[in-house]
Amino acid sequence: MSTQDKVKINKLPTGVPGLDEIVGGGLPEFSFNIIAGAPGSGKTTLAHQFIFANASPERPALYFTVLGESAIKMLRYQQQYTFFDPAKLPDAIRFINLSQVVLEKDLGAVLEAITKEVEKANPSVVVVDSFRTMVRKPNSDMDLQSFIQRLALFLASWQATTFLIGEYAEEELRDNPVFTVADGLFWLRQTAERNSIVRKLQIIKLRGQDSVPGLHTFRITDAGVQAFSRTFGLTARKRNPPGDRRLSFGVPELDKMLDGGVREGDSVLVAGSSGTGKSVLATQFIAEGIRHGEQGIVAVFEERPEAYAERATSLGLDLETPQKDGKLTILYLRPLDLSVDETMQSILDAVQKIGAKRLVIDSLAGFEMALSPGFRADFRESLYRMIFALTGIGVTILSTVEVDESFTEFPFSTYSISFLCDDIIRLRYVSIDGKLRKIMVVIKMRGGNHAKDIREYEITSGGVVILGERLTNYQALISGIPEHSAPAGSKEELSREPTIGRRS
Amino acid sequence: MTTSPEMRDLAQRLLDYEAFTEKTSEPAGSATLRVYEKLRHELGEFAGVAGFQSLASRALVLAKTEAPSLSVVRVGADGSLQGLGEIEHQFDIDKIRAGEFPAGEGGIILIARLLSLLHLLLGEALTLRLLRATWHCGVFDDRNSEHGRNA
Repeated sequence: MSTQDKVKINKLPTGVPGLDEIVGGGLPEFSFNIIAGAPGSGKTTLAHQFIFANASPERPALYFTVLGESAIKMLRYQQQYTFFDPAKLPDAIRFINLSQVVLEKDLGAVLEAITKEVEKANPSVVVVDSFRTMVRKPNSDMDLQSFIQRLALFLASWQATTFLIGEYAEEELRDNPVFTVADGLFWLRQTAERNSIVRKLQIIKLRGQDSVPGLHTFRITDAGVQAFSRTFGLTARKRNPPGDRRLSFGVPELDKMLDGGVREGDSVLVAGSSGTGKSVLATQFIAEGIRHGEQGIVAVFEERPEAYAERATSLGLDLETPQKDGKLTILYLRPLDLSVDETMQSILDAVQKIGAKRLVIDSLAGFEMALSPGFRADFRESLYRMIFALTGIGVTILSTVEVDESFTEFPFSTYSISFLCDDIIRLRYVSIDGKLRKIMVVIKMRGGNHAKDIREYEITSGGVVILGERLTNYQALISGIPEHSAPAGSKEELSREPTIGRRS
Repeated sequence: MTTSPEMRDLAQRLLDYEAFTEKTSEPAGSATLRVYEKLRHELGEFAGVAGFQSLASRALVLAKTEAPSLSVVRVGADGSLQGLGEIEHQFDIDKIRAGEFPAGEGGIILIARLLSLLHLLLGEALTLRLLRATWHCGVFDDRNSEHGRNA
């Protein structure tokens, strides 16, 4: 049998931003799904989004409510969401209350009532909310598994995509025959992490579909449920093989140290202690990109965009005009209880919106601190996923990170994220002749022949300027407390004059 | 607090419609009951019998404060209205003879109260959508144009 003979499973939009990506492109048509989770985890809202995205007067959605939340109150609250379109009621979406049948009769009667309505309306979507309340009904002639099985068979024959909503606790997941019948099992979790609420979604199973495994963060806003795929929605994007193009830093001597500049699509880490000029270097990097027609995004966490742009102005770099022209976006992200995935999604959205080629994250420490404690555990993993996703589509990322200045060690990063970076530039203070001076060294450059020189630099009104030649007359420079290896005042003595001026 | 003029107006439109478009052989006093029964059917479908019964009971209690003549009226466990037909009958015959609106004041107030509750709980757009599903007619056209929406 050729692939052309195989049945094609249509994928329906879930109506939940981010969820289509997670379920592998959309929900399989005619599938029989269960949405499980604790009360308040967003089950009903998710189902509503699905029906509002798919129901039409020709193929309506039937939403059966059983015991539990009052239908009137449910509609009262659900209509607050932006996806709720009253015009769809009651022709495209019909709410049918089965409480009386459940109270007075057994599961067989409930099945009969559903069957009758389905045959009458020929719906494309059927929701039973909450089917779990029916289960608790004692002395029913029909057991739940039999009920679910017959319902699944019937609704599949009637070409309806179905959602059963049920309150379940984690421990009920194992060996539950009800879940065996389902084609799709969506599990919504809500846990408290210190003062924050963390919501996670897991597709435990989805037949016939290549869903993204793992736990995905989701949020409920006035737009309803929004899911954040662990792959940031970039799995479908073709990865760009790294090119040979080199991107200038706007600091000519640094470009030379990098064998012509940063390779396009690299992830660069600029590490140094407070005041060493990490942000200045990052600003020069983004400004140089804009000068070459490459749109940029700066994600800041420790100062507001206005202050960031103002500081750039003091360095002779104009970040105001490119912002107005749509060539630069400065994102100020103080997410409080946002998850790292949501924050990263904001960055990704901004990157994709303006087609940015350069991204600055200033700084990773600020980024991590801005997250709620519960999400910090995921920080490195999420960062890895974002960097992998973005560099894969050709975006060059520069991240700054503050490291503790030690006069006995030379750490690259306190965050142990060096493995995420193709290139590492280390800035640090050294004590020379009773003065605190600054040195820069390219520690690592993946696939590149970078200079191993240790260079002194200054932060001037024009930004970072590398001074003189490499420092040859000192030993143990990276310790921070070097010793002279040549007499002071000799021709090898450190020059204080910049050899190459900055670009305007 | 009395019923709002808007809800009274809407209730009256529904009652007018039922009174003048249904078969003339039916008792004129049943206009209120016909509106009520249609609401009961439509709302009962999505809110359930108990849900509608609760709403109707509340509406009746509120309506009685404005129309003491409703004091003998009851809402049954199944949401049906009991006792309204009797009090409206004589009143309506008198009205028809005088060429006036056939539904009694109590009926208007009761329906207006029920609509007010729906409006309060579900909002105008959804309430009108639900009513429109029952009354496929131009009863609501003025309201739509007034609010600039296609409810």
